Amino acid sequence: MKKNTIFVVVALVLVMILSACGTQATETAQGPAAAEKVTLKVLVHQNPPMVDFMTKFNDEFTKRHPNITIDMSVVNANDLSTVTQTRLTANDVDVVDMFGFANAAQPYMKNVDPPNWQTLIEAGYLLDLTDQPFVKNYDEPTIRDAGTYNGKVYEINLGRVSYSGIYYNKDLFTANNVKVPTTWSELVAACETFKAADIPCMTAGGKDGWPIFVGAYGLTGALYPDQQALVEGLWTGTIKWNDAKAVEMWEKMKVYAQDMMEAGASGIAGDAAPGRFASGAVAMFPGGTWYASAIEAAQPSFQWGYIPFPGSDNPEDNKYLFGKYDQGWVVAAKTPNKEAALLYLSEFSDPANYQAFANAVGFIPTQPNATLDTQIGKEVAPYLANFRVGLEQYWVAPKGAGQYANPWASYFKPFGTYDDPKELADKVQADLQSGLDANQ
Amino acid sequence: MMAYHFGRGRARLAPYLLLIPGIFLYFLIALGPSLATTVFSFTNATGIRGAPINWIGWENYREFLFLGQASLDNYAALGRTLVFCFFVTTIQFSLGLLMAMLVNQRLKGTNFFRTLFFMPVILGAVIQGLIWSLFLYPLGGPMARILENFGVRSEFFGGQPTEAFAWVIVVQIWANMGTTMVIFLAGLQTISDELYEAAQIDGANSWQVFTNVTWPLLTPSVNTNLLLNIIGSLQAWQLFLVLIGYRNGTQVLGYLVYAQGFGQTSGSVTSAFRQGYAAAASIVLFLLVLVLGTVTQTILQRREKRIMG
Repeated sequence: MKKNTIFVVVALVLVMILSACGTQATETAQGPAAAEKVTLKVLVHQNPPMVDFMTKFNDEFTKRHPNITIDMSVVNANDLSTVTQTRLTANDVDVVDMFGFANAAQPYMKNVDPPNWQTLIEAGYLLDLTDQPFVKNYDEPTIRDAGTYNGKVYEINLGRVSYSGIYYNKDLFTANNVKVPTTWSELVAACETFKAADIPCMTAGGKDGWPIFVGAYGLTGALYPDQQALVEGLWTGTIKWNDAKAVEMWEKMKVYAQDMMEAGASGIAGDAAPGRFASGAVAMFPGGTWYASAIEAAQPSFQWGYIPFPGSDNPEDNKYLFGKYDQGWVVAAKTPNKEAALLYLSEFSDPANYQAFANAVGFIPTQPNATLDTQIGKEVAPYLANFRVGLEQYWVAPKGAGQYANPWASYFKPFGTYDDPKELADKVQADLQSGLDANQ
Repeated sequence: MMAYHFGRGRARLAPYLLLIPGIFLYFLIALGPSLATTVFSFTNATGIRGAPINWIGWENYREFLFLGQASLDNYAALGRTLVFCFFVTTIQFSLGLLMAMLVNQRLKGTNFFRTLFFMPVILGAVIQGLIWSLFLYPLGGPMARILENFGVRSEFFGGQPTEAFAWVIVVQIWANMGTTMVIFLAGLQTISDELYEAAQIDGANSWQVFTNVTWPLLTPSVNTNLLLNIIGSLQAWQLFLVLIGYRNGTQVLGYLVYAQGFGQTSGSVTSAFRQGYAAAASIVLFLLVLVLGTVTQTILQRREKRIMG
């Protein structure tokens, strides 16, 4: 009798455990019962002015629609694609901030993987926005280039950014009698003047890695203004990273990494760099237009200007601004809150709101009637006719290419191991060639 | 004949029924993902549920081991993993033993120091990374100021890859030494005082006491610590992510798996997630851990048998 009791108790416990699991699974599969109140889950990447704006927008949105609560998560830009994928596949997000569609495989590229956004669309995770009225608020080239795949619109892109310019400290330039540089030689001379006065020439958020090499995009751009053609040339072998023209670029990158960048820049986090520049401690800050709001917020009275990075001694080569399509909105295809999500995007896309967004964040607008009414808008206005999409938006590395197959200034000491530009040029080309040869 | 505690008839099934939840969880959490990783390593999986997954045979392994300069970079990462393992294991092991012997003394404040030395273990990798990033901040951080007094300056984690790599070794040891210390401490406390008294009566000096009493009787703790240190350091990746990120000349295999699996290698935010390829890399890492772990365990077991009988 006693032994049978043990058996019965064990069996009952097992049944309870298994039925508990079963109940959980059933609830998950069926989803919560439809409720009047909706919690809209929004995911954005860390960009302080954007996060500030979105927080205010969310407050106003929820006041207008009291039944909708916004649950906004903020993640580091480097983690955005991982978190996006995880939460989309778990059906745990409704609206996602996604960078403009880039890095698509081109016909001349062999054996490359599709970019992440393309895989997400093909797997059915992004909602088709083609027929949504708010899509028409954005300019047609933006929708086509940064948000369309196979003829359908999946993203509304909210702005272009330039990352090939330099912020400069007007007071330090005036105090040291330095003219705003328009050529490479003038930039070198300016840095020498500042260094002689014990003022670091440039700073960057080197702790995040990419700001060091992004800051030097102007050097690549001055030599290769058509960056799409550059990518094709590298893939087809008509351009090499160790030809005479490229070696000139590497020589300048060495000067940028070793003589222009301040010592200790590798420890500065990406979102701390604008504050460091706004403190007045350094003369220049090569970086993207998205930093302007953070500089103004850190020191409202600070006097600064923004110029294209002068990578060439011919001023005509330095007239370009290189950049990319930045943040955009996509909607999860499987969202149970589709109406609320589309309403959110619709109200965001309202021209008046979008204008306020562009002003707050400093994006170059992608709505045709919006203007960038801020200082950064005025600074970049003369160069907007020469805006070009940058190399990193087109580049896809061939499989088998070595880890140095990129035009990055951070390969030079003190951030990397190289000191000799020609040696580095040969290494970069060899690493790239290795991948190209492996896929023949 | 031993009595069967669960009785006769159907009651004999009770222990097997009791095992079912454990076995189920083991398959679900441990064995299942391992088997799935092996299967995924032969596919082009992206990790996106619903995306097509194609069986590509040995292609991921061919790419990882033989395709172009990238495969040579992978071998370099493999070598770096072994270097990391060697330094972390030897230093963490030695320091852990030293600390355990220090806090095993009958002195005032030993409990405080035990807690202090163990504290880093309870912090997560992000907190550990934050603490060291602040300590090693090159623009006026505490360490930068100390070095400044000697006319030396450093970029620490952002500087030369070898230097950044060395700092990660330091942080890894700091973060995990507490566990090593506690295991040794537990071992030390099982050694009877009478053995030490007998050795002293025989005229043994401190070194002789250590080599002939403490060290042999610590054998189980030595074995446990060595295995944990070797396996833990071979699999390390979180601190590399938090402290350095994806930088040439610093990757170890564990971090390479993460970087490939989650599109962190190209500097572009739209990179493909290559989870099939990452799975192949993780199988290579698993084989490395398996071989080193098995060899180490065999040697240690023989030694234990010889000493402990």
